[in-house]
Amino acid sequence: MTSAILTHGLTKDYGSGHGVFDLDLEIAEGEVFGFLGPNGAGKTTTIRLLMGVIHPSAGTATVFGLDCDRDSVAVKREVGYLPGDLPQFGGMRGSEVVAYLGGMRGGIDAARVKELAERLELDLGRRFREYSRGNKQKLGLVLAFMHRPRLLILDEPTGGLDPLNQQTFHRMVGEATAAGSTVFLSSHVLSEVEETCSRVGIIRDGRLVSDMTMDKVHELRFHEVVIEFGGEVPEAAVRAAAGVEDVAVEGTRLTCTVHGRFDALIAAISGHTVVDMVSKEPSLESIFLSYYSK
Amino acid sequence: MSPRLLLRLHRIGLIAMAYFGIFYVLVNSAAFPVIAGRTRAAQEAFGHSVTVLGAQFSWLLPLPVRPDTAAGYLQWRGYGFFAIIFAAWGLFSACGAVRRDEERGLVESWLSSGVSRLRLLVSRGLFFAALSAEIVALTGAAGWLGCLIAGTPADVAGLVGESAALWGLTLACFGIGLLISQLAVEFRAAAATGSALLVLMFLLDSIGRSSVHRAPFTDISVFFLFNQSNAVAPGGRFDLTATILLFVIGATATVAASVAFVRRDIGAGLIRTRGRHTPELHEVSSNPLLRTPIVRGLWIRRIGALAWTAGMTVTAASVVLLVNITAAFFASTPTLSPYLRGLPGNVHTVLLALIWLSFAQALVAIFAITYVSRWSADDSSGVLEMQLAQPVPRWGVLAERAAELTTTLTVMCFVAMAVILALAPAEDIPIDVGRLLTATALLMPFALTFAAVGALLAGWRPRAAVVVLSTITVISYLVFELGPLFKWPSWADDLSVFQLYGTPLITPVFVGGLIAMLAIVVVGFGSAGVALARRDVAA
Repeated sequence: MTSAILTHGLTKDYGSGHGVFDLDLEIAEGEVFGFLGPNGAGKTTTIRLLMGVIHPSAGTATVFGLDCDRDSVAVKREVGYLPGDLPQFGGMRGSEVVAYLGGMRGGIDAARVKELAERLELDLGRRFREYSRGNKQKLGLVLAFMHRPRLLILDEPTGGLDPLNQQTFHRMVGEATAAGSTVFLSSHVLSEVEETCSRVGIIRDGRLVSDMTMDKVHELRFHEVVIEFGGEVPEAAVRAAAGVEDVAVEGTRLTCTVHGRFDALIAAISGHTVVDMVSKEPSLESIFLSYYSK
Repeated sequence: MSPRLLLRLHRIGLIAMAYFGIFYVLVNSAAFPVIAGRTRAAQEAFGHSVTVLGAQFSWLLPLPVRPDTAAGYLQWRGYGFFAIIFAAWGLFSACGAVRRDEERGLVESWLSSGVSRLRLLVSRGLFFAALSAEIVALTGAAGWLGCLIAGTPADVAGLVGESAALWGLTLACFGIGLLISQLAVEFRAAAATGSALLVLMFLLDSIGRSSVHRAPFTDISVFFLFNQSNAVAPGGRFDLTATILLFVIGATATVAASVAFVRRDIGAGLIRTRGRHTPELHEVSSNPLLRTPIVRGLWIRRIGALAWTAGMTVTAASVVLLVNITAAFFASTPTLSPYLRGLPGNVHTVLLALIWLSFAQALVAIFAITYVSRWSADDSSGVLEMQLAQPVPRWGVLAERAAELTTTLTVMCFVAMAVILALAPAEDIPIDVGRLLTATALLMPFALTFAAVGALLAGWRPRAAVVVLSTITVISYLVFELGPLFKWPSWADDLSVFQLYGTPLITPVFVGGLIAMLAIVVVGFGSAGVALARRDVAA
């Protein structure tokens, strides 16, 4: 099966260490790939390389087997694109922006536009300059989704959206993938990736530092545990338990982190009076912060 | 706000006014002996002709005073004409400083950084006052130098007085612009309202000057107050009271604008009207014009295109109506009449050709530059990136741009041509329809020459495109206009793009020029296509 996105040694060197370097990625059709990284890591540069608006310094990128640089027009027939910042369309109404860009694409499914605008509660009758940041983002989403593309390339898609519309967006992504579309979305909001993606790549300083499935990501997870004892604290037994780290005791309260299964911890505290026990799963954000700090 | 940032925000006005003010004044004063003749008798005859002409143009310019001298001619041709230009500069700068920067989000950003509203407006006002003072002073210095070159030095005190009046006029219009911008919600509305007010004040002054009955409220027209001074002309006077009144109007309007700015909401006008409730729309626009290549661009920019067409048409009509007056002026001026005798055909046709095509060339060249400016802006604003996110090739975007420009130019020029054809018989101006058609058609490759160079610059270095193209155009125009006047060598004249157009209304088509223009168009757009294909967009 042809990969939806395939890059080999993709490089865009702006000098002084800025850009993207030796990027090797393969994203299968139907996947939802989250491209994570802090600001300035190279996410938008990678997206612009895939869209063919900038040329690579070295390496290649293909979308459904089409070269992103040479065959960029054919690539764009297959792609729905949401840029990081929508351009200023001034006094044009939302409905006119859709008609204008849809006309450049070659055709518009009016029913689909209406469905998207209704779901996102976007008033297309207002002028672009009157739109709030969130409404501009909604318009961008309508433009990206309106032609049911095989591949969605979305640069920080939930920026400016309220939580309800974020949920709508997540459902839209789910429906698109159910219909066979592939999604490549960049973000620095990890909860968004956690909600929608099946695989993530982490980019830092222009280099891909990790590429893993969400299952693998979840394996990296750990739990923060706080136990309140009724009497003596079995500190030595807990420290000796497999998978238990960062043990600290304050009075009758013990805190620790547990990687993997809880069996060893449970065995260590058995026979002691436990007044309260709280296990908290850290966010994906904390996991990646921990990952980055290593 | 740093002066550097303010300088950046006013850079277009600064460059345009510096070009315009200094060159225009320098040329009109320095070229006086060439136009009027070098002997006293020739200059007196010229002065007499200008006085007669000036009376007929009194609705447009103040009556000339001592036009037989370089300083008097400078007063009439330079400072008389400057009033509307500097007034418009002041007005549009103020509208831009308030509304344009508010639309860009700059005002909100500055206010959120801890700058008070009052301080923001005052700093903009003071900076513009300093900037306009410099331009007015440089213009005065250029006038002094021009008169010196002409051999009749101008009175320095007179130049200082007239410069003060011009500065007062500019600041008065800036203040009015600031005030109007507090009431209007958008830049376009503020600029349109301000322009209408300027035209009204201009007409009040014009009616008062050219009829026995003074129109009511003439005295409060900023143009009336400015025209009370004509200190550059020998024997002219400087009206201190009128000049002080101009500064008072500017200061009062600025204070009123400051109060309004403090009271109103950012992004809104001082007076808020309750908006009509309209149901939400979720449908895509059904306008087929927005989906049709080339036509979509024309539709989006239809107001601008209509305004340009109207401007070209009014200019064409004005030129036809002025041909007879100008012919009489040329015929009665010994130094100018030989220029007409050397050209073939009817004198009225020749004048129409010279004046109209000179205006038309300048207008279509400026129009091409405005399009290049938009192409550059599309690049930096992300519009080009969004266009290229659709399945269209880069050369397709370029071809559509060129086609849209050509279509608009065609409409503008041929509507103006139709007006000339309609009005010329009533003015007894014989017109060769075939030649007028050819001359009008040749304006397309002429304008596209600038557009092609601009497209290449925009495809290569978008940020520098407008400045470089404007410089090329101004130099080209000056070479074209001044070359024959100062009898420069023909190779220097041939460097001008304006020269390539020829005089197709009265002489056969300049085939060499046409081939050169077409070559520039083909090579320019071809190279622009290559440059656009090779470079990174939005990077």
